[in-house]
Amino acid sequence: MDPTHFVQINTGSPEPIYRQLIEQVKRRVAAGQLQAGDEIPSVRELAQALAVHPMTISKAYSMLEMEGVLLRRRGLSMVVAEQHQGAQPTADRAELLRPTLEKAAAEARQLDLPAEQALQLFKTILEEAPR
Amino acid sequence: MSPHFPPAETPSAVMSGVSLRYPKGPAVMADLDWQLLPGQVVGLLGRNGAGKTTLLESLLGLRSPDAGLVQLFGQHVQHLDDATRARIGYVPQQSDLFEAFTPAQLLAYFRSFYPRWNEAKVEGLMSRWDIARDKPIRKLSGGQKQRLSIIRALAHEPDLLVLDEPVASLDPAGRRDFLRELVGEVLDRGATVVFSTHILSDLERVAFNIAFLSQGRIALQAPLDELLEQVRAFTGSVTEMAALMARLGAEPLKRTPLDAGRERVLARLPVDTAVPAGVAADRVNLDDLFTELT
Repeated sequence: MDPTHFVQINTGSPEPIYRQLIEQVKRRVAAGQLQAGDEIPSVRELAQALAVHPMTISKAYSMLEMEGVLLRRRGLSMVVAEQHQGAQPTADRAELLRPTLEKAAAEARQLDLPAEQALQLFKTILEEAPR
Repeated sequence: MSPHFPPAETPSAVMSGVSLRYPKGPAVMADLDWQLLPGQVVGLLGRNGAGKTTLLESLLGLRSPDAGLVQLFGQHVQHLDDATRARIGYVPQQSDLFEAFTPAQLLAYFRSFYPRWNEAKVEGLMSRWDIARDKPIRKLSGGQKQRLSIIRALAHEPDLLVLDEPVASLDPAGRRDFLRELVGEVLDRGATVVFSTHILSDLERVAFNIAFLSQGRIALQAPLDELLEQVRAFTGSVTEMAALMARLGAEPLKRTPLDAGRERVLARLPVDTAVPAGVAADRVNLDDLFTELT
């Protein structure tokens, strides 16, 4: 897997980089873009591709291993764990969107926006974004 | 501690009780304590004029403090032996290259001082960073001089790398390339790196630990991940805030008085403590931490 396009990070976010990595890998596994047995870039490859401290990458990988998303193999690169055979049901995938939407909902309430209008905005954004 | 970098016996650098005051000026360092462990990449943050350069120069023994002790690899900084001296790399804020030399002459000159010299790395970086080997250094651009200064500091494969605003004249692509080199230094040798910069996005990528220099001391040093997860901003009346801090066991880092007996408190929560429902708490990013803590 090409390490430069494996994940993207945003600096300036309150979300630590290792968290961003974890969430992106989980989303790609949930969508079936990454499947059981797929090799992921090594700590070294990804650290150099992203210009990120290697401890940040190994922290993310260790947590993904603990959560059963990745599997460590002796002397070989890590792979996606075997239970992830394809895209998860949409209901499960939608659940991964919950934290982001909860944040958006809190901000909508702060702005005193009617639910209808917030929903319409989300719909517009979904439709206009490049696929 | 990560399995990659187990805690090692000797810290790469220790400063204890260091004080320095310029004649007639305020104290630049006031009983400052600091420690850098092997394999750590520490980003040094401080406002302009806070004394970052003075601190880094004192760490390297280029400046004698009025009081306190500085040790590098367990040796007093003023009495380093040659082998220990050769383990240190430094990129100063102001280019200190010999302007009349060409880059090729400069590198040949420095090469003679070091027992270890990675010629392949030097050649690779000279080509990749497009530095004319045979043009006098004074004719190079600011960015090229800075790159050459970085190459000089990396050539002898230092175990401790001190970088004072190393990327100020580099463009974004040049900065990214430089950060990759730094990551390589850590991967290959577990080098200890300390660098100051105002470009927080660079720091956020490579600096696992962040140190805040404020009022002559390292006010706080911690892994950035932990700070982003544990630090929150709360607003309320002074009495409410005191009660809340006590209830959460939070450590206040900065209090800002607001009008009508209210205040904003930036506080660090204990590990794995969630903010109770109903308590408004804002998350912070590195910019916020810089603004509040330096």
